[in-house]
Amino acid sequence: MTQLPPPKLSQLSRTLELFRSFQKPLFLRLSKLKRVSISKSLLIVCFIGLAFFMLLPIIFLFNNAFKPMNELFLFPPTIWVKEPTMRNFEQLFLHAGAAVVPFTRYLFNSVFVVFLSLVVVILVSTMAGYVLSKHRFHFKGLILSMIMLSLMFAPETVAIPRYLIVSSLGITNTYLAHILPFIASPVAVFLMKQFIDQIPDALIEAAKLDGANDLYIFTRIMIPLAAPAVATISIITFQAVYLDIEGSTLYTTKETMKTIGFYVSSLTINLQNSVAGQSMAAAAALLMFIPNLIMFLLFQRKMIQTMLHSGVK
Amino acid sequence: MGNVVFQHVYKHYKGEPNPAVNDFHLEVADGEFLVMVGPSGCGKSTTLRMLAGLEDVSKGNIYIDGKFTNYVSPKDRDIAMVFQNYALYPNLSVYENMALGLQLRKVAKHEVELRVSRAAKMLEISHLLTKRPAQLSGGQKQRVALGRALVREPKAFLMDEPLSNLDAKLRAQTRAEIIKIHSQLQTTFVYVTHDQTEAMTMGTRIVVMRDGRIQQVAAPQILYDEPSNKFVASFIGSPQMNFIDGIIASHEDGFYFENRRLRLPLPKAYARHLQGMSQGLPNSRRQVVLGLRPEHVLCDADALQAEPYGEWQVQVTVAMKEPMGSDTYIHTDLGGTAIVSRADAHIPVRIGDTIKLVLRMDKVHLFERESGESLLLRGASV
Repeated sequence: MTQLPPPKLSQLSRTLELFRSFQKPLFLRLSKLKRVSISKSLLIVCFIGLAFFMLLPIIFLFNNAFKPMNELFLFPPTIWVKEPTMRNFEQLFLHAGAAVVPFTRYLFNSVFVVFLSLVVVILVSTMAGYVLSKHRFHFKGLILSMIMLSLMFAPETVAIPRYLIVSSLGITNTYLAHILPFIASPVAVFLMKQFIDQIPDALIEAAKLDGANDLYIFTRIMIPLAAPAVATISIITFQAVYLDIEGSTLYTTKETMKTIGFYVSSLTINLQNSVAGQSMAAAAALLMFIPNLIMFLLFQRKMIQTMLHSGVK
Repeated sequence: MGNVVFQHVYKHYKGEPNPAVNDFHLEVADGEFLVMVGPSGCGKSTTLRMLAGLEDVSKGNIYIDGKFTNYVSPKDRDIAMVFQNYALYPNLSVYENMALGLQLRKVAKHEVELRVSRAAKMLEISHLLTKRPAQLSGGQKQRVALGRALVREPKAFLMDEPLSNLDAKLRAQTRAEIIKIHSQLQTTFVYVTHDQTEAMTMGTRIVVMRDGRIQQVAAPQILYDEPSNKFVASFIGSPQMNFIDGIIASHEDGFYFENRRLRLPLPKAYARHLQGMSQGLPNSRRQVVLGLRPEHVLCDADALQAEPYGEWQVQVTVAMKEPMGSDTYIHTDLGGTAIVSRADAHIPVRIGDTIKLVLRMDKVHLFERESGESLLLRGASV
């Protein structure tokens, strides 16, 4: 009859245990909770830290856009905004409204250039990828290695030859000057080829026996199956073209032919209002970033799929 | 309806010294179910793909239905092919998969619907027509692939190991189904497999290939009873034929098969095939491999007492037993040579026992050691 009530004791000890466990470091607690090994929980903690670190620029970007002038020039700089304000955006729009070339012109140029580049790059890279992956022809190995080789050049090293080509083609100050340099995209072709390599040959052979010609196979079978790769290429190309300022600085002299990327970067470069420019640049940077973010969130899953498939991680 | 003729067909791949297909010469009759069988890399699939037009012919001619077909594109050959990995279009529904070939050939819409529904009914996949391939099981996918070939109503069906991705039960089931379809349609089937059971059960005629060469072409039973060489003998039949090395010795009372442990008299009937092996030849020229199917290695009491089998007895130790339910395979050891006997399921032997076996010399196959050619068929078929 002198039995102690066991549930109470166990409850107490559990509470005690829990209380004690809070004094232990995080990774030990993790290992206790989910029954994962200590090394694994350490790894998880490390990666969480790393992920947060990678996130910092984006957090900084969002905060900066709402910081008042005094906070922007604070030293040491802070990450979190204390008194959020919309002043920066107001200033940006005022400045844009007062400019010689209206802001909408830059925007239109960007949209137009990005759209056309996307369409053409997708078309070229899927076609090239399909042919390189599934067809046999002379000099295929050579062509492939040339594409691989061109992947290895830093963009700066080809800026001068590229300029010479653009100028000798006589397309400076046209939209073509913005678009043409991006069309030959070795990364896109390579990704596409790797992805199409995964599609079994039997599928194409079955289609051939069914009576389909190359165009039919390409448009009805290859493209739907390669959709994830197309999404990835879209993101890559979108970012490259949208953020590009080379086209605006090197290949165009007319202000009306420049893109929004150039306009934003010019805000800070312009010396006359370098201080005021900082606040506008902060707001503009956020505005520039948002389309990127949307693109990525839209295609994120497909992009990871492609990266896995093509063995590029 | 179409017959298929291969005239001395070769396939050379760049950078490889030996042709993948070497002098493939064969005529497939209209309505025949021809099975090409052989180990992987023997050229059977390459031959099929040349027939389909998916590979170029290096040398020789292919005729389909009497028409020279070497340079005809795959879609104009009027053949349908079933692939090992099904090759269904993942982005199309089952119906669209089956109908695509007809739509591309501009067959009228109501005709397409009729043919698809008829094929679907035949294969019992009518309820799957709206599904996508990803939603189907392996067996269902293979049925759809078969259906896609059926609706085309081609001159010939080509099948490249269509059952190898299915599990054992489904394989047997689908095998029966394909046999049924063939007997209903009476169209030419050319079927490639590496599985000798499939070959034996399905084919009206079997082509055994090795290293790009045809080894033997014959009906299943003939292939089993009269293999033209050691390779065919070993490839067809399960468990495998037993092989014992030895020489042919001729004595006054007839021919004997001899090696260090054995001396077994050969039946008189073989004498005419073995004449060349008689006197005067050095031992090296008389070397042979004796082949004997497991069902001709007897170990039951009746056989051991049977009068004619008396001189064909040998003593062996039991190495392993494989009970199969209907019968038991007894793996024995005869001085380093493994001998398998197909015995009664309830035979009372244990591993390690020393038992007597009867090697039925009236059922043996004799192959030349060097070339592997059958001695008993020499003169008969060649």
